[in-house]
Amino acid sequence: MNKATDGIQLEGTVIECLRNATFRVELQNGHKVLAHISGKIRKNYIKILPFDRVLVEVSTYDLSRGRILFRYRN
Amino acid sequence: MDSAVTQIAERHWHALGDDRVVGRGEVSRRPDGRRFLSIDAWHDTVFDQLAGAMLANLPRPLYTVVDEDDLDLLSRWERTGFGPRRREWEYVVPTDPRITGLDSVLPPPGVTTLAAGEAEEGPLRELDRVIRDEVEATFGWQNMPAEVPARPDGALVLDPARYAVAVQSGAYVGLVRVVPLPRQPRIGLIAVRADRRRRGIARALLAQVLGSAHRRGIATASADVNQSNEAAINLFEGVGARRTSSNLELVLR
Repeated sequence: MNKATDGIQLEGTVIECLRNATFRVELQNGHKVLAHISGKIRKNYIKILPFDRVLVEVSTYDLSRGRILFRYRN
Repeated sequence: MDSAVTQIAERHWHALGDDRVVGRGEVSRRPDGRRFLSIDAWHDTVFDQLAGAMLANLPRPLYTVVDEDDLDLLSRWERTGFGPRRREWEYVVPTDPRITGLDSVLPPPGVTTLAAGEAEEGPLRELDRVIRDEVEATFGWQNMPAEVPARPDGALVLDPARYAVAVQSGAYVGLVRVVPLPRQPRIGLIAVRADRRRRGIARALLAQVLGSAHRRGIATASADVNQSNEAAINLFEGVGARRTSSNLELVLR
């Protein structure tokens, strides 16, 4: 059985690449989060660019922070 | 935060706290045999617990990749004993010939270039093998980015649609691999046979793929270059490529 996680998975669009390895992502509900990329994305050299549609896991400990889990093919 | 770590599959670990998944770890094996780790956790203590459980179960050396600007993640891995092994610069490469200066670049006499999709797989595979042997004899193929997947039988998948090739006297002598991402193609590898270098073949291959991208309306490509590869750094910076960030490969021996 799948366990619940400490994150909420939501779709969003990357609106800005920031200098410190983070991205500003606008979620479909208009909320904006600062997101890092997941280790799996980094390991696989997947590039994230502005306007990319992504799946973000938003932290339940801090709703302004997220982690990019997946980049959709636009 | 306190958590309990469980290995849920051969390559996957979960950290559980209050019956929820509060962290995940994964190990993957590259075609060159090296094992790369990744851990995602919001809390330092969960990261440390996951790392401890994974390291206790995996043979060394182990590797991971971090963005050098991600100081929090870097310090987490360093705390577990990982240290830098090499650095790759990430470049954004313009495609416009007015910026790159490649509009008048021609292959050296006797050399022609084949656009992506025009090369034959057999000779391309042979060139790839020759270049791999040459690199292995110098600084090692394992330094190359691992983006050529292996088939179940162990052979590497070489898709001619992703390679532009330089040909001399009927033989393939140089190649550039381009991952055709829609808005920013990625130049994954550019290489010329050792006995044909320093003649402008790599520059001609770059002119071929950047010119092709420009004609399709694509403004930039991306490339990762090992910091010790001066020839590649000079090639890319010579066409106006701009460093945007760097990735550190870390190792735990």
